[in-house]
Amino acid sequence: MKRDTRLAWTLLAPMLIVLAAIALAPLVMTIWESLHRHDLRMPWIGRPYIGLANYATAAADARFGAALLHTAVFTGISVALELTLGLLLALALDNVRRGRGAARLIVLLPWALPTVVAALVWRFLFESPAGLLAFDVEWLSRPIAAWVPIVLADVWKSTPFVALLLLAGLQAIDPALYDAARLDGATAWRRFTNITLPLLRPALLVALIFRTLDAFRVFDVVYVLTGGGPGTATEVVSLYAFTSLLQDLRFGYGSALSVTIFGVTFMLALLYIRALGAPVAEDA
Amino acid sequence: MTRAAPRIGIFLLIAIWALPLLWMLIASVTPESRLFGGAPAMPGAFVLDHYRALFAERAFWRPVRNSLIVAATTTVFAVAIGVWAAYALARLRFRGRAVTLSAVLAVSTFPQISIVSPLYLLLRRAGLIDTYPGLVLPYLTFALPLAVWLLTGFFRQLPGELEDAARMDGASRLRAAVEVTLPLAAPAIATTAILTFLYAWNEFLFALSFTLGPERQTVPVAIALFRGQYQVPWGQILAAAVVASLPVAIIVLAFQRRIVKGLTAGAVKG
Amino acid sequence: MISAVRRATAGLAGALLALAACSHRPDVLTFSGSVLGAEGTIVRRQIDRFARQHPGLTIEVRATPDAADQRHQLYVQWLNAWAADPDVLQLDVVWTPEFAAAGWILPIDDAVTDADDFFPAALSADRWRGRLYAVPWFVDAGMLYWRTDLMDAPPDTFDALTTIARGAVADGRVASGFVWQGARYEGLVTVFLEHLIGFGGRILDDDGRVVVDSPAGIQALTFMCDAIHRTRIVPEAVLTWQEEQTRFSFQNGRAAFMRNWPYAAALLGDPAQSAVAGRFAVAPMPHAAGRSAAALGGAQLAINARTRQPEAARALVRYLTAPEQMIERAQVAGQFPARRRVYDDPRLKDALPIPPATARAIVEHAVARPVTPVYTQLSGILQIHLHRALTQQETPAAALHAAAAAMRRLLDDAGLTAVS
Repeated sequence: MKRDTRLAWTLLAPMLIVLAAIALAPLVMTIWESLHRHDLRMPWIGRPYIGLANYATAAADARFGAALLHTAVFTGISVALELTLGLLLALALDNVRRGRGAARLIVLLPWALPTVVAALVWRFLFESPAGLLAFDVEWLSRPIAAWVPIVLADVWKSTPFVALLLLAGLQAIDPALYDAARLDGATAWRRFTNITLPLLRPALLVALIFRTLDAFRVFDVVYVLTGGGPGTATEVVSLYAFTSLLQDLRFGYGSALSVTIFGVTFMLALLYIRALGAPVAEDA
Repeated sequence: MTRAAPRIGIFLLIAIWALPLLWMLIASVTPESRLFGGAPAMPGAFVLDHYRALFAERAFWRPVRNSLIVAATTTVFAVAIGVWAAYALARLRFRGRAVTLSAVLAVSTFPQISIVSPLYLLLRRAGLIDTYPGLVLPYLTFALPLAVWLLTGFFRQLPGELEDAARMDGASRLRAAVEVTLPLAAPAIATTAILTFLYAWNEFLFALSFTLGPERQTVPVAIALFRGQYQVPWGQILAAAVVASLPVAIIVLAFQRRIVKGLTAGAVKG
Repeated sequence: MISAVRRATAGLAGALLALAACSHRPDVLTFSGSVLGAEGTIVRRQIDRFARQHPGLTIEVRATPDAADQRHQLYVQWLNAWAADPDVLQLDVVWTPEFAAAGWILPIDDAVTDADDFFPAALSADRWRGRLYAVPWFVDAGMLYWRTDLMDAPPDTFDALTTIARGAVADGRVASGFVWQGARYEGLVTVFLEHLIGFGGRILDDDGRVVVDSPAGIQALTFMCDAIHRTRIVPEAVLTWQEEQTRFSFQNGRAAFMRNWPYAAALLGDPAQSAVAGRFAVAPMPHAAGRSAAALGGAQLAINARTRQPEAARALVRYLTAPEQMIERAQVAGQFPARRRVYDDPRLKDALPIPPATARAIVEHAVARPVTPVYTQLSGILQIHLHRALTQQETPAAALHAAAAAMRRLLDDAGLTAVS
């Protein structure tokens, strides 16, 4: 047991050192910044320590609350779509005999595009009158309708990540299990629910975690498609944090928003790990 | 497992993904005024002006080179460091496993926008602004956790019997890991490498903030610099995206051959 | 004893000086701004000439994204880190008070000896607490583009514009009457400003109080909303459009009127890509009860407060903003000079995409947006509410009252009022 521990920490050391060196300091600096009043536009105010006052302001900020709501709904819908479609894609790719490479390539290319370009493509498709998918509706200037191109753009771009992840998981399943089940007379559906899904659980969990965290921090897609409009109908939390930090130059408040976003996303991740049985974090 | 229904489903699904790509390709050879023409269908004439401009006016090969170097280096480091950590987290029993996993995840979930400024200050002090290491290091803040989490998940899926068999034959933990488990995890490592590479390839904010000139700027930044104050050269941007996808396409095609389907039947039974 | 101390001190001082000399960067002056296309050509040409006149000085040009947000972000990052470079920065017209208040740029009064030669609006946008912090380099002003084949003369008033636009649409000669930038971004504020002044309103009064929700303001916004939803001379699509989409709409012959910046004129006049080449002209924006107004845009040059070569930087700024250079810039890049007297220069005759006299008249009408360090935040509030009104999520009156209240709160919290 002791040898295990020593070996474990030895193997973990490089990663921990790298992360401590580059990630820890900025995190700590941001958290420290969030406890001060720091507005770059007004240096005469100085940088007084105000404790949790920024967080109190954020809690009372209706715009932040609305952004949180938008982000939560967007995340829920996007991730659900991405997981479902991702699974379908993975199953499809698993079954393709000929043209497997080409199929995988087509599926991966959207993810290889810079996010801004992908967002631009979808903007073109939905911007009337010239947009192919616009059908003469002003999608991007309606508060609810504007979400459609945003969700579609994100799903189009991010499902490949899920698909590839699940595909790798699918291919790790021993085909002998399926053969045995077939011999026992199980239908395709039973084989899917009794063998495939359970064995895919680790991969599904990782996909779920990463997609949720990414969707919660979505920025580029919204920025290019609507900029947060109409009004603030599609404003998401990262957009609001960006505005506060780098446009309004309210570093203290913006840092508090960022820490809050981090807190929420991290809680979500922990929730997943706990609720979904944590096959990854528990002992075998 | 081959029936007609999945084939149709496959076709539809892949078609949905391919259509916007196809549109992009067509748009990149469309004269600019027709893009906004109000007539959405096929253009009359294809033009290669956008592509010409990319290389003649903008030396687009430089950002592509930079992106390749940065993304590849990031991937190599992330996977090389991450595979050991993932093995430990997946296979070894020790206190603080769950906490470590959570901490690693926490690092990658911090919003980029808020650590840009502190990171900039740190990199500047280290003299790393506008250098390749000055991009690879910040990239590891998301690439390393991603690689670790992915690999941990994959490692957990591998059966432990082979490794136990090797250890019973007298090999040490580490040797068993290297000689038995790692080769089995090759498909997983390949997948992780592809995903990490693409994550790094796409990254914009750090690349914009930590580079100063065309010698080190990556593809997303170069594309962002195409646009003037009001004018957005859509045609060139789309052409750039097409061109930028090519190296990625080649790499993916090359790598995906190595993702062999499943474990070879003999390895488990034997 | 004392001489020993003195010697040691001298030695130490010498060593420190030597160290400082080693770590001191060679004489490289960095300029940061727009270096795309024609702008890049002309700025490099002029900088090279300046460098030849100052041997021993090397000048580097650093490209920054032209997208205002991204350039702003980079500047903030650099200046907040107390970077000594870039030494000379190209600023957007609304950034000067913000950067000046933050202490990031130097007062620059001594680089401008002939202040009255500059357009007053441009100069006032560059002042903070009585001192000048940037020098106007070129100006942009919102203009009305009109189709010469659809009418004999441009309209003077918004009512006349509405009538003509309706007629043109009803006749089927164009798809839309009037197009402007209505996306939720800074451009929307400039369009609104022109309507606002046209109806006799203002954003801030002379004492710096928020008066955007005056009856005139509400009338202006109501007019804009009606134009989209009632009289329908403005297509709903404009609510997602920025400058380029409106330009293409007008360029493809789909609109009778367009509000846009001068940059579009050259592109519209190119028969190879424009369907309206030779069939359009430019005029000042119309008005109602107020006066014709053009939102002031453009760029200014400022000096990094931490520059190690303030003299060289000042010389460069003075050089680039000299009349000769402005004329040359107009000839190559087609941008409006920020100096008034150069408009009389015969060399400008064919340089600008529109006649110099018209250009000057429009720029004289230019109105600066509020000159305050918190402008971006103020503008953000206004954008949100304007856009809500235009997308019918709020009534114009409610939107403006809400915006004004938030703006007042912001100015109170900051303890600031606009200073001209």
